[in-house]
Amino acid sequence: MTENKLCNRIPVNTKEELNGLLQDKSGKQYYEEMDNLEVDAKALWRTIQTTCKSRIRTWLNICAHCGMCADSCLFYLANDNDPEQVPSYKIQSTLGEIVKKKGKVDTTFMKRAMDTAWGKCTCCNRCGQYCPFGIDMGVMMSFLRGVLFSQGFVPWEMKIGSGMHRIFRAQMDVTTEDWVDTCEWMEEESEDEWPGLKIPIDKKNADIIYTINAREAKHYPEDIAEAAILFSIAGEDWTVPSEGWEETSIAMFAGDWEGASMQVESVYEAIDRIKPKRMVVTECGHAYRATVIEGPYWTGQKNGKTPVETLHYVEWVAEALRSGKLKIDPLKKIKEPVTYHDSCNYIRNGGLSDCGREIMSYIAEDFREMKPNRDHNFCCGGGGGLNGIGRYRKQRNTALKVKRDQILATGAKLVITPCHNCWDAIRDLEEVYKIGIRWSFLKPLLISMVEVPEHLKPKDE
Amino acid sequence: MFKKILFSTTGTSLCDAAARVAFDMANRYGAKLFIIHIFGIPDRSYSQAAIDIKTGEKVDLNSDHFQKVQEEIKQTYSEQIKHNKECEFEILAGIPGTEILRTARKKDIDLIIMGARHSKKEKKSPQQKLIIGNTLQTVARSARCPVLIIGRTAASFWGGISNILFGTDFSKASDSAFLFAYKLARTLKCTLNFFHVINISEDSSGNVMDQNEIDDRIRDARAKIREKYLSRMEEFEDYEIDVWEGIPYVEIVKYSREKFADLIIMAHHSKKIDLEEANIGTTMEQIALRSNCPVISINHTDKI
Repeated sequence: MTENKLCNRIPVNTKEELNGLLQDKSGKQYYEEMDNLEVDAKALWRTIQTTCKSRIRTWLNICAHCGMCADSCLFYLANDNDPEQVPSYKIQSTLGEIVKKKGKVDTTFMKRAMDTAWGKCTCCNRCGQYCPFGIDMGVMMSFLRGVLFSQGFVPWEMKIGSGMHRIFRAQMDVTTEDWVDTCEWMEEESEDEWPGLKIPIDKKNADIIYTINAREAKHYPEDIAEAAILFSIAGEDWTVPSEGWEETSIAMFAGDWEGASMQVESVYEAIDRIKPKRMVVTECGHAYRATVIEGPYWTGQKNGKTPVETLHYVEWVAEALRSGKLKIDPLKKIKEPVTYHDSCNYIRNGGLSDCGREIMSYIAEDFREMKPNRDHNFCCGGGGGLNGIGRYRKQRNTALKVKRDQILATGAKLVITPCHNCWDAIRDLEEVYKIGIRWSFLKPLLISMVEVPEHLKPKDE
Repeated sequence: MFKKILFSTTGTSLCDAAARVAFDMANRYGAKLFIIHIFGIPDRSYSQAAIDIKTGEKVDLNSDHFQKVQEEIKQTYSEQIKHNKECEFEILAGIPGTEILRTARKKDIDLIIMGARHSKKEKKSPQQKLIIGNTLQTVARSARCPVLIIGRTAASFWGGISNILFGTDFSKASDSAFLFAYKLARTLKCTLNFFHVINISEDSSGNVMDQNEIDDRIRDARAKIREKYLSRMEEFEDYEIDVWEGIPYVEIVKYSREKFADLIIMAHHSKKIDLEEANIGTTMEQIALRSNCPVISINHTDKI
């Protein structure tokens, strides 16, 4: 067997390895190499024996193949009730087989398992709610991703993403200098319209430590300025860490358990260093899941919680509106019909559905719920890493149909999406299906309608 | 006056006029010229692809592609490079307004040069719509240095400057523009034309101003120009003051034609506007698109 340069079992830990992957055109060479990637059956079985514990084994065994999960899956619905898209089938035919065959599976099988784990599931965990036995196929699919990653069967972009986290402690190549510089730049840029606006870095004992999604630093720096504006209007004592600011985890999507822990540890270290009272996470769904829901377990926090109380951005906004720290100008409320997209990762998997409704009660005159909603809402269609994987673009676009129809049924032209992944997916949905909608994070909308205290208004004119 | 000039180009004929001015100015003032080209808007989240701005096609973000685009851009300006060997190229992927501002800040740029064009009603992807329409807006609003905008070929023959038109609406941002215009007029020893327009567009209730009121306002505006600007000039006599009534951008373009202005200087201080409306543009943009001379937009005093 020729040695694979790009597609192998070794995670990316150096810039050279990362650049090698980035040089590949759309993963062409990477996927060609995958055809020659042999399965290390012994190691695979060892992984299963040491990590596939009683819960998952029981789930695999007790599944009655009743098919109750079928209708719960957006892929099943979007693909004309294709039986191969039934969640129980998807997991039984992949992880179930690996366990049954004690790891003796071949390359073709593993590639098919990869195409299922990333191309037919967004780990939205909706199916788990409909299983009469309470089997959560989303959780198992996440586990399967880890098993596949350990053998090198992982989509090209996911391998890059996991490498980014290992090297930069961020999902993109944003260094500490880049990040600090971006904060200073945004301060400068906002000073005309928001006199005295500060983005405090590493401020010890601040009430709030704010952590973000790397793409805000890289491509949407105005998001950081907007966060600063809203914190200032609310009069919060807040700070961002110079290191450990990245909340997201492509490593989690990739099934890179080690990389995901490294990333989360960097955030917890920042908390240790700065000693804030609470942490607020930006408008991102999987970031919350990685750092707040799963991270404590990955890093062995005994109480299963983050080192300090952590709020998703919607929790902070709801609290600020409730307490009057942010006051909405009643004349500036959203008048047109507007709907709210529940992000799976902090609604279904984080229990924050009430926050969205509370916020809407303050800012919207004609709020229209999607159906179903809250914990039963459908994934945007691009979760779990699917948005970023070129190999499954077609599958992703098909999956968007479910969300498209949900939005159309509300009659709303504005969709509020407090999650980067969902925001992308819904933008793409418009690009693919052209249904004439707009989409927005909460921050710019709030800034356009919040009452601004005198000291934050520009002095001239 | 200008030591570091940043020319942001689409690499297409739309920027030819701006390119002419950029290379000419760099040579004339012995400035270092940085040519940046942002070819792609980042695709979804962390995917390693971008949407090509020109074609709307998906392109890979690997160094081969960056190299290829750089060669194309160098080819486009191969003639000009012969006379300006010092210029530097930078090829980027990102959101154009953000990357132009980021680069200008990083390299401590004294002047940004950009093209402008009428936005055609062409088919654009939602991403392109969001981003392209307001690049000029974003840069003109936030840049710390003057931004020179070339809208028409006719505006690209930057020669000696003998007439500068300073358009003011008396805002704080206009103060920065004044300081710059005054300094430039002194340095280049040319005429400085102060100009203000009483906006007589109908208001939302359909009221039209009567002529007496217009006359009063014209008188007030002239006084304000004396008080606000002339009082700050020292031993500088070569100026004129005019106040007209009309629709601001129309009058400024007409006035610049009448005065044979070589350069229009004004502030672009509009607040962030709704992206939906970004295509309509502001007074400054309308002027940049219509005038026969370059327009410099300036909002900050950092680089004066």
